[in-house]
Amino acid sequence: MNGEPIIRLRGVAKSYYREALEIPVLQGIDLDIPAGGYYALMGPSGSGKTTLLNLIAGIDRPTGGELEVCGFALNGLDDDELAGWRSAYVGFIFQNYNLVPVLTAFENVELPLLLTPMGRRERREKVEEAMERVNLMDRMENYPRQLSGGQEQRVAVARAIVSNPELLVADEPTGALDSKNAEEIMALLEGLNRELGKTIVMVTHDPKAAHHAKHQIHLEKGVLDRTIEVNR
Amino acid sequence: MRFLHLILRSFFRSKRRTVLTILSITVSVALVAILQSVLATLDGFANNPEASNRIVVRHKVSITNMLPVRYEDWIRQQPEVEAVMGLQWFQGVYIDRRNFFPNFASEAEYVTAIFKEEIVDYSDTQYRDFLRDRNGCIVGRALADKFGWKVGDVISLQSEIFPLTVRLTVRCIFKSKRASDEMGLHFHFKLLEEGVFYMKGRTGNFFVRVRHPEDVPKIIERIDRHFRDAVEPTLSETENAFQLEFLKMMGNYTAIIQMITGAVLVAILIVTANTMAMAIRERTTEIAVFRAMGFRTGQILFLLMGEGILLSVLGGGFGLGLAWIMAGAIRNVAGTFLPYLQNFSIDLGTMALCFQATLGVGILSTFIPAYRATRRPIVDGLRSL
Repeated sequence: MNGEPIIRLRGVAKSYYREALEIPVLQGIDLDIPAGGYYALMGPSGSGKTTLLNLIAGIDRPTGGELEVCGFALNGLDDDELAGWRSAYVGFIFQNYNLVPVLTAFENVELPLLLTPMGRRERREKVEEAMERVNLMDRMENYPRQLSGGQEQRVAVARAIVSNPELLVADEPTGALDSKNAEEIMALLEGLNRELGKTIVMVTHDPKAAHHAKHQIHLEKGVLDRTIEVNR
Repeated sequence: MRFLHLILRSFFRSKRRTVLTILSITVSVALVAILQSVLATLDGFANNPEASNRIVVRHKVSITNMLPVRYEDWIRQQPEVEAVMGLQWFQGVYIDRRNFFPNFASEAEYVTAIFKEEIVDYSDTQYRDFLRDRNGCIVGRALADKFGWKVGDVISLQSEIFPLTVRLTVRCIFKSKRASDEMGLHFHFKLLEEGVFYMKGRTGNFFVRVRHPEDVPKIIERIDRHFRDAVEPTLSETENAFQLEFLKMMGNYTAIIQMITGAVLVAILIVTANTMAMAIRERTTEIAVFRAMGFRTGQILFLLMGEGILLSVLGGGFGLGLAWIMAGAIRNVAGTFLPYLQNFSIDLGTMALCFQATLGVGILSTFIPAYRATRRPIVDGLRSL
């Protein structure tokens, strides 16, 4: 960790509108996350943790405040610029894996690389590297339906890291897994943070999963409640 | 090209739905291609370039009223006129009504002069035999082959409009440039005059060949002006216009065919739009994941529209293939009793029209659901399971 904030939020607010009714979800969030950090966003349902993750990942826009992630002020980017930024800087891991069912594990992992100018051979090398990292070299030609839940999530992790993004965002990555597979995924994320220096921001309800992070950020009714450093 | 495999994999995601949609487009496009080809064939029949210097003169009141044969003498005296021939539609039945073919009582000595573009190749000896034998007839090669007639065979035609049955000896067989022009039979007009008392000195039409096509309007106007105050006034028109009059008896076939074509195209559009809307809707989350990974709006549109266009173009291609097979069947079956269908085929213009129509259907049916999918907030798409 070099201490430089890779994520900087100042007065970030997010409200949803149901007809004329404004529903505030996040209010006045100030947050700095240094490069190489591993943060777990925690809080009760409706506290705004997934919304905060979506804002950091650039798939949602704030209604107030300023966001700077990986050196880019996200407020100033249009939709296509934001898409280009995500493809270069962010890897996503979802609770339900969200693999494309008609593509093999190899092709799923290859997807983010299709947005780069890489040739076929280089893409193959990168995919194999990522698949080796998640220990699924023998499952590259399998379709998602031929994989277990834990294997699917490992493929999703490989997809998230294949383009070597600086930031990994994970929304309840162990939410659909049993405890053994959950433990494997958490170990995998911990390794990515420790060995590759990836900055990870993870939403979780699971205290065990949160314990793998270096810091826990607690949200309460849309505001930052406290940040705790995890002692291990 | 790097996205092609994504389009193909998604295309076969639901094989049954894809196959059924392609089948429905195939059948619809085949129907459109056949209908448009029928239209082109009928239009071609009424726009025969070979008939550009031929005029048909008939009774002004109705096509069924007769004209005096003596009119022919005055028409022939016009300096622009090359040949004139009295001709009467006989509508003779050979054994059975299903054996329909056009047959005419014609002034034999002028047949080859009037129809020189159609009666192209024949033996002079055979033609002289035809002229000499009042019970003789001249028939096209395709017609002779159809019934296995040879020179010297005797055939019997029972008219459906005159109380007369003629026994004719095949004396001459001619070849033409098109099979459809080889499906006619001409016999001596005198046989009709002698067999039917009210046809003495009368004929249904005169076929007039003008030396130069540019003189056609002048001659038409002059003939009709000359006989305007006669007891039996004339109505002259180009042969193509005359054929068109015949076709119009079927009603406004162009409007009917175009309306059916339009209805079929709308039906394909609805079927394809429904398929694509379902295919896109059930992938809401997947599209959101693609967008989260960094796929841009244009790239998502390309993937989804590529799928829709592939669907419609494949259906269109198979449809044209089916239409081509059907056109062969129409030539072989319907062409035997409707001579102008002897040359029935799907021409390049119709193929291009069908291709453009299916491409249009692919674009129109996919654009709206695809565009909506790219406009939906990513977080909404990720929540949609």
